[in-house]
Amino acid sequence: MRRAFRFRAVGAILGLALVAAACGSGDGATDGDPIKVSSFNFNESVIVAEIYAQGLEANGYEVERSLNLGAREVVKPALESGEIDLVPEYTGSVGAALGVEQSADPDTMWEAARAAFEDLGVTLLAYSPAQDKNAYVVTAETADQYGLTTVSDLQPVAGELVFGGPPECPERPLCLQGLEEVYGLQFAEFVPLDVAGPITIAALEGGEIDVALLFTTQGIIAANGWVSLEDDMGLNPAENVVPAIRSEVADAYGDELVALLDSYSEALNTEDLTEMNKRADLDQEDPALLAGEWLAANGFVEE
Amino acid sequence: MTVWESIEEFLAEPTTWSGPGSIWARLAEHVLVSLAAVVIACVLVLPLALWLGHVRKGSDIATAVVNIGRAVPSFGILAIAFLILVQMGAGIGEPWAVLITLIALAAPPIFTNTIAGIQSVETSTLESARGMGLTEGGVLKSVEMPLSMPLIMEGLRIAFVQVIATATLGALVAWGGLGRFIVDGFAQQDMGQLIVGATLVGLLAILAELGFSAAQRATTPAGLRASR
Repeated sequence: MRRAFRFRAVGAILGLALVAAACGSGDGATDGDPIKVSSFNFNESVIVAEIYAQGLEANGYEVERSLNLGAREVVKPALESGEIDLVPEYTGSVGAALGVEQSADPDTMWEAARAAFEDLGVTLLAYSPAQDKNAYVVTAETADQYGLTTVSDLQPVAGELVFGGPPECPERPLCLQGLEEVYGLQFAEFVPLDVAGPITIAALEGGEIDVALLFTTQGIIAANGWVSLEDDMGLNPAENVVPAIRSEVADAYGDELVALLDSYSEALNTEDLTEMNKRADLDQEDPALLAGEWLAANGFVEE
Repeated sequence: MTVWESIEEFLAEPTTWSGPGSIWARLAEHVLVSLAAVVIACVLVLPLALWLGHVRKGSDIATAVVNIGRAVPSFGILAIAFLILVQMGAGIGEPWAVLITLIALAAPPIFTNTIAGIQSVETSTLESARGMGLTEGGVLKSVEMPLSMPLIMEGLRIAFVQVIATATLGALVAWGGLGRFIVDGFAQQDMGQLIVGATLVGLLAILAELGFSAAQRATTPAGLRASR
């Protein structure tokens, strides 16, 4: 009995896989297809993606959401292959992933990343003034104990400290790689956690790690009195929020769609992001509701 | 870089073979927590299952338990257990949430197979045993348990193999184990690390399967072996 059941289960899974494969073949998007909006696997990205999605819906576009998709290692290939159409990116991080030269100047960074991404069939639209950089965060006690205010201050003590961040951190130029190359930091240990989420926050709170990779727009940093170490040697490039859209989709829908997304980018600022992050991360508010509220507050949709 | 090169590169790194993130350390964590989960699950469910089997009352419960066991997703238990334990002050990277999840996964097959095993002993055999003057405890210990050993061991085998495979989820909540290589390899797009990790888990599951098959044969009473 059990064996027969197992075989049937295997058959069913294979069948599903075939169906999924048949459905998954991405064909060229045209005017009229739903716009597939996606996001990275952290709240801020979900919130901005929801702003795009709800804004587009309010203007009569058909939208399909696949939010919380994963890290850039998952999202970028999905965008290039047409599994998804639109995702909120960050100029510096996407530039690093594309292998272009990093710059702290928003214009230079955006232009370099835009040129490189265009070759892969993805258009970076106008960037928003809102920025979210990687933050290297310690507790107030750690900062006091070692006299830390900048990332450089970590140099003499890094060998005693434990660094916690997402599992992809050791291979990321803006994470452990950059901290080693630019600042010469070799931490005692690296602990793979999550993308600046509840696990990393709990680990810093609980003292399992000494230095955490968080984001500069995370409300929890100020709320807990933590210290975000100043990136004094300029490891981090400009990280403006920018809609990355498949060129084919942008072309198919034309200027109207672009103008709409541009208007959201223009209105969004770092303070808004920080506030919405705080409410999503700490007060557990729904990212979709926060996005809707922001659209209404900025006059993009009726309340 | 080809897949082979990336495997070779991963295997050539010194940190793969020594230190807290080495294959040996991860393997030890993985096996230790898996074993602990199965042992604790046995302690929790075996007495009740043996008694229910002996009084011939457990069939419905056994079916219900196995159905619930199949329906409850391990990842869900893990996420909930992790969040609750962190609220209660457990440290990040400690194995407790994983242990709870794996105990919940291991318990149903052990419970169900034990009841089914005890109940499969024929009534005529039991009557003979009682006729020979064995007490109820004696019947359970000397007749029912030995005769149902193959099924009980089968339950343990299923539980252990599932536990080995599922312990990989622990890496998603910052625990170690062999899942670390799979989760980190995936996050870093490091095919070598990913494949080595997945292969090790597969090998460990096969080893466990073989080990339990041998134990199953060894614990089967001589009289039952001929008929199998």
